[in-house]
Amino acid sequence: MKNITTKGITKVYNPDTIPVVALDGVDLEIGQGEFTAIVGPSGSGKTTLLNIIGGLDKPTHGNVVISGTDISGLSDNKLIEFRKNHIGFVFQAYNLIPVLTATENIEFVMLLQNRPASERNARTNELLEAVGLGDKKNSRPAQLSGGQQQRVAVARALAPKPDFILADEPTANLDSKSTENLLDIMARLNHEQGITFVFSTHDQRVIDRAHRVITLVDGKIATDVKQNPLK
Amino acid sequence: MLFKIAWRNIWRSHTRSLVVIGAIVVGVWAVIFLMSFSDGMIKSYINNSIESEISHIQIHHPDFPKDRDAIYVMDQAAALQQSLQGMEHVQAATVRSLSSAMIASAKGARGVQIKAVDPTGEAEVTRLDEKITEGEYFSADKKNQLILSKRLAEKLNIKLRSKIVLTFTNLNGDITATAMRVVGLYENDNAMIEDLVVYTPLSDFNQILGKEDIAHEAAIFLKDPEYLDTVQAAMQKQYPQFLVETYKQISPEIELFNSQMQISTIMFTVIVMLALVFGIINTMLMAVLERIRELGMLMAVGMNKVRVFFMIVLETVMLGLVGGPVGLGLAYLTVSYFNRNGIDLGNWSEAMRQFGMSRIVYTTINPGIFIILAVAVVITALVGSLYPAWKAVRLRPVDAIRRI
Repeated sequence: MKNITTKGITKVYNPDTIPVVALDGVDLEIGQGEFTAIVGPSGSGKTTLLNIIGGLDKPTHGNVVISGTDISGLSDNKLIEFRKNHIGFVFQAYNLIPVLTATENIEFVMLLQNRPASERNARTNELLEAVGLGDKKNSRPAQLSGGQQQRVAVARALAPKPDFILADEPTANLDSKSTENLLDIMARLNHEQGITFVFSTHDQRVIDRAHRVITLVDGKIATDVKQNPLK
Repeated sequence: MLFKIAWRNIWRSHTRSLVVIGAIVVGVWAVIFLMSFSDGMIKSYINNSIESEISHIQIHHPDFPKDRDAIYVMDQAAALQQSLQGMEHVQAATVRSLSSAMIASAKGARGVQIKAVDPTGEAEVTRLDEKITEGEYFSADKKNQLILSKRLAEKLNIKLRSKIVLTFTNLNGDITATAMRVVGLYENDNAMIEDLVVYTPLSDFNQILGKEDIAHEAAIFLKDPEYLDTVQAAMQKQYPQFLVETYKQISPEIELFNSQMQISTIMFTVIVMLALVFGIINTMLMAVLERIRELGMLMAVGMNKVRVFFMIVLETVMLGLVGGPVGLGLAYLTVSYFNRNGIDLGNWSEAMRQFGMSRIVYTTINPGIFIILAVAVVITALVGSLYPAWKAVRLRPVDAIRRI
């Protein structure tokens, strides 16, 4: 079962000097096919939670079980392997490889997985079409707008067929039109292909489109609400 | 794909990469040029010493080299010369009588070494006849001829065709003075020889010394120095009563000079490569530090640390692989040009002559040097890449991604 379960997640920064509690006993279950937004004020622990779920950071206490694997105890190298095959990331600042074209950026992750060339080519084309960038295959990031870059980032995150996509403030640097466009694409992929998306966001437009909104306050879950998205 | 990323990353900052590539080019070029120049200088020194002074092999009475006493002679010198000339691998052989003498003129007196030579044999071995710049070489019909250097003649204010007196000890231990006429003035690349050596025909001088058909020294010039040790052994076997020595044994300073030059060249290479290593570390560190977020993302999406490390190493080696061949090519062009045309060290010619070197140095083309430098550049790039690559893999993706 492709789901995320956290049990009593606590994250304390600087435990030996001035301890800062970023997460305080978070219990969470996110199932397959969800379109979930994690919201909350700055410093509430959204990004920390997303990093821990994504295996980029380790909790001080508690466990994270993803698709049946407890990733809390994995070594750095095993975590890299795990992320490669199970988790797709979309970052706030796009973070594409600037020297590679849109096609190559998407293909790169599949190369890390040692997928055969024919499969890579087919999937890259399919994903570029899915995010509406079929005509920008050979453009490098610098030749693309912010919205287009973020769509390439979504395609790259989808390329390795991960269990779910984690998106950290994906619309923070985008204008309204690009935000709507990106959300449309992600909602469609979620609806049509059952891909799980988990966002951390401040953006009301993203929150409005989510099926479930988890609000964090001071590192704890304040509310966890299922809703009907606006579109 | 890693190769593609590494190659394109190099050209993200043209100026920075070109500066490093330029440094590699200049470094490689400078080391090869210096090595070839030093090698050319050593060869010029060795060749000068062999051609105009020592020859490849010398034969003496076993006691002669110790205190160079005139009584230690080799008899039947003419037969010895003829026999040596007929030996395998020998291009030319000659015999000489040697004596320390005082040369005096109105301006002053100086100590010199008389080399009493067989005119034909000497011309074949040291090409003395070609070094005469004023006057003429020895002729058979004249007596008591003397050839000295133009430099010495100027110092003593001796004119061509003037008569001067040489004082030396004969074989009986008596001090003898004899008048000789200056028939020719020679020039040599080695100023020390010019200050010291005067030439006179062997037969006349032997008469004054007090014994016919003797020599203190036989000098042999080989067709191919490769057979040096073989010929030495053959001659020693044929003349067990004499001492047969190669130029390496006679002038160990040649080998010393050679090895000293090699050591300083190696040190120069190491210094240049060390400077390059620090230049490369600096550049690659900058390249890593300005790409922290990108490297964090690569690790976040599943690029393992070995691949990240390899990518940085690859980028650095690629810089070397661009700069190295350009430097090698440039060095080859320069070295082969000066190999044909020589470098005229006119301004330093006097200093060079003091050490027995030609004023024109021909750089040597040694393929070994090019191979060494090609390997050295790759090793330098590898060493230079280690710290930046280590720095890259030490990044934690969670911190790196958020770095501005």
